[in-house]
Amino acid sequence: MTLRQKLLLVALCTLALPVAGWLYVRQMETLLREGQAQALVASARAMARSLVVVDAPLPPAGKAWYIQRTATAITMDGYADDWASLSPWAQPFGKNARVMLSEDDHWLYFYIDVRATNRRRADADDRLALNADHLILSIASGDDTQRYLVASAAPGPTTATALDPEAGVLPDRINAQWQEDGSGFRVEFRMPRGLRLDRFGLGVHIAAEGDSNPLTAESRPLLDFSTSLSQEVARLAPDGVRVRVLSPEAWLMAQSGKLDLPNLPASERPGWFASLVYRSLLATRLDEDGGWAEDAPRIDLPEVREALLGKPATAWRAGEARGSVVLAAAMPVEMGGKLHGVVLLEQPSRAVPLLANRALFGLMLTSFAVLLVAGGVLLLFATRLTIRLRRLRNAAERAQDNDGRLDGPFPLTDATDELGDLARSFARLFEVVGGYTDYLRTLASKLSHELNTPLAIVKSSLDNLDHAGLPPEAEPYLARARDGVARLGALVRAMSEASRMERAIASAEAEDVDFADIVRGCAEGYRGLAGDRTLDAVLPPTPVPMHVSPELIAQALDKLFDNALSFTPPGGWLRITLTETPEGADIELANEGPSLPAAMQGRLFDSLVSLRDKATPGDAPHLGLGLYVVRLVAERHQGTASARNIEGGVAFTLHLKGLPRQRLA
Amino acid sequence: MARSIAIVEDEPLIRANYVEALNRFGYETRGYGSRGDASTAFAMRLPELVIIDIGLGDEPEGGFDLCRELRAKSATLPIIFLTARDSDFDVISGLRLGADDYLSKDTSLHQLAARIAALFRRIESLKAPVSSETVISHGPLKLESERMRVLWNGIEIPLTVTEFWMVHTLVRFPGHVKNRDQLMREAELVVDDATITSHIKRIRKKFVALAPDFDAIETVHGVGYRWTP
Repeated sequence: MTLRQKLLLVALCTLALPVAGWLYVRQMETLLREGQAQALVASARAMARSLVVVDAPLPPAGKAWYIQRTATAITMDGYADDWASLSPWAQPFGKNARVMLSEDDHWLYFYIDVRATNRRRADADDRLALNADHLILSIASGDDTQRYLVASAAPGPTTATALDPEAGVLPDRINAQWQEDGSGFRVEFRMPRGLRLDRFGLGVHIAAEGDSNPLTAESRPLLDFSTSLSQEVARLAPDGVRVRVLSPEAWLMAQSGKLDLPNLPASERPGWFASLVYRSLLATRLDEDGGWAEDAPRIDLPEVREALLGKPATAWRAGEARGSVVLAAAMPVEMGGKLHGVVLLEQPSRAVPLLANRALFGLMLTSFAVLLVAGGVLLLFATRLTIRLRRLRNAAERAQDNDGRLDGPFPLTDATDELGDLARSFARLFEVVGGYTDYLRTLASKLSHELNTPLAIVKSSLDNLDHAGLPPEAEPYLARARDGVARLGALVRAMSEASRMERAIASAEAEDVDFADIVRGCAEGYRGLAGDRTLDAVLPPTPVPMHVSPELIAQALDKLFDNALSFTPPGGWLRITLTETPEGADIELANEGPSLPAAMQGRLFDSLVSLRDKATPGDAPHLGLGLYVVRLVAERHQGTASARNIEGGVAFTLHLKGLPRQRLA
Repeated sequence: MARSIAIVEDEPLIRANYVEALNRFGYETRGYGSRGDASTAFAMRLPELVIIDIGLGDEPEGGFDLCRELRAKSATLPIIFLTARDSDFDVISGLRLGADDYLSKDTSLHQLAARIAALFRRIESLKAPVSSETVISHGPLKLESERMRVLWNGIEIPLTVTEFWMVHTLVRFPGHVKNRDQLMREAELVVDDATITSHIKRIRKKFVALAPDFDAIETVHGVGYRWTP
């Protein structure tokens, strides 16, 4: 990871700022919400008490039948098509029956759906009817009650007959429609509203299930939306709140007020982005959307369910208008210890989200700007740092490649910070290294220069000694001394050879020559020196014109050949190969012999590196300069020298490109 | 009468050795330790041959200065540079100043004596008429062995004794390749390959300076050189 990436990562720390802000805003919002919820609960409680106190027509406690208002006309045919809009709120009865009730201006409609697969059929006037599948209906209006038996052996119109003696206005027979299929049967009938029914009872008797008392019917009060209760509620309801009164089974009994908010000017209305931010960051605790319950006759919401158990409850949900929320508070209405219903207060509001949004938005914008600025500043800083470091590194590498010397001053040494210190340390270090390298480089030639004089003294003295009339027994010692001096001389010459070669190589002049010619000439010359070793020369048939210094090339080849020859065992082989390359030519000198140790391959062409065993007495000394000269020659020709092991021997290769042509002034 | 030789060398041991050796060879040799001593002595009497070390005491280039001084006095006085230095630059500087030869201190006393003898012989023979037997001619080249002179189209090429011997070796068997060892032996030169190369280079330059189309000395890479008639 680069320094810049690291610093950018560090810049991410500023992200803690918006996170902290978000937590704060969220907490603030929670507090506000709690306060609002408590206020609404208090209102709901007051409302519930008021309803009891003013003796409002509250729904009765316990189970009841709820009569829905229908918008479509109901046809008496025994089929459920026209009941479709009401069927979601069908009221279950017993194990296998569902009941739907509805009313229009004149009639009260009943629809009873019974599931029974195992049937026993009989008509109502059959005397066995009570033993077959049948329904017992019971209706009450004021003090009058009447029971009816409904049964039919076949689908179609049927008549329910009264079981009890005549009772006031209640009819002694009811016309009904009976339909059935494999899954059960359905009965539909209607009663005029003029009867003012206030209770309705039902008994479902299926013969197959066994029934000890075939005449029972369970009677429950009839409920519907109460206008008078609504008016009562409207009187008591606080402003800006929708109040609904629900029966103990959560049926809607009364309603007052609306959820609408006053329209805000467009500029103050939160945009979709703000709403999204609010929903995603703050409003995570909103309850499921209760929108479906808007027009339903039954309000089945969690807070209502909780209130029906006797506990006040609140809930937050998203409002219909974008960016608004609705706070709902449900409060049980109890009278004489019995639950008579639930008061549900719903308060739409925009204030909380808006407040939170503004604060959050300000915070987000500020922290985002801070983040950007901090990131940008850090990036700039990191870039500058990286550039400076890179300059320092490049200078150090250049100096290293250049044996510790740098063309020009070391960069950044004027800087006052730690990088400046580092640069100055580097500069000092390379100064020392450079001086040391220079010293080493010149040591050999200096030493050889200094040694030349004493050597000349010894040599001339020995020459003089020849004529001093030495006794014959001294002659061998003289010869040995001469031999020693000769070797010393060779050593001294070799020591200064590198620097002399460097000078010679630097001043070499290039000519346009046929490279193949040079190599051929050299190979011919070497053949005589190879002795019993075989020397092959593999040359291209066509001339290889190049701009090189033939003397240097020949010299490098001499060194290579000399080196190869000394490693080739008697009777071994040597091979010179010249190949033309797109940029110049490669010369390879391969020979049979021991392979190169892997560790040495990179350093083989360095100065003063030798692979030979310690020289056998009498041999010319090897200072490891030969291959160094080869490298210098190759580099002078913009090329490289390399060595590698091959099958049964080693190969040294010169990759040459030719000397740069000098521009004629 | 013995020929007089002066040796200017700051190292007393070497000076003593050289003086004694040359005296033994029959020359009347005097040694001088510094440029000042030598100048004073030369002001009174010029020797017949001077051997000068380039570095003299505190003066690293003292030998060159002395050479310039002597050359001003006498255009024909043979001067041999003798030095521990062996860089091409020094050689070229010395020869440009008009030295007749340039030897490294590696050179044995015998080789030194041979050169001195050759230089004296050349001076002698210049006085005598040209004897035809010792003249080798190849096209424009005329080589007088006795006088150690080389003429190209009748113009003398100013070769040193060493260089003359090299050319002589090549010219005696035109077309034959002489390797570096042979050239070294013939020229009684103890140097390495690189020095032979620079000698040949200098010889070529001297010829080319007078005859720009000169290309009679051919390099046979990896082997040596030959004279192409």
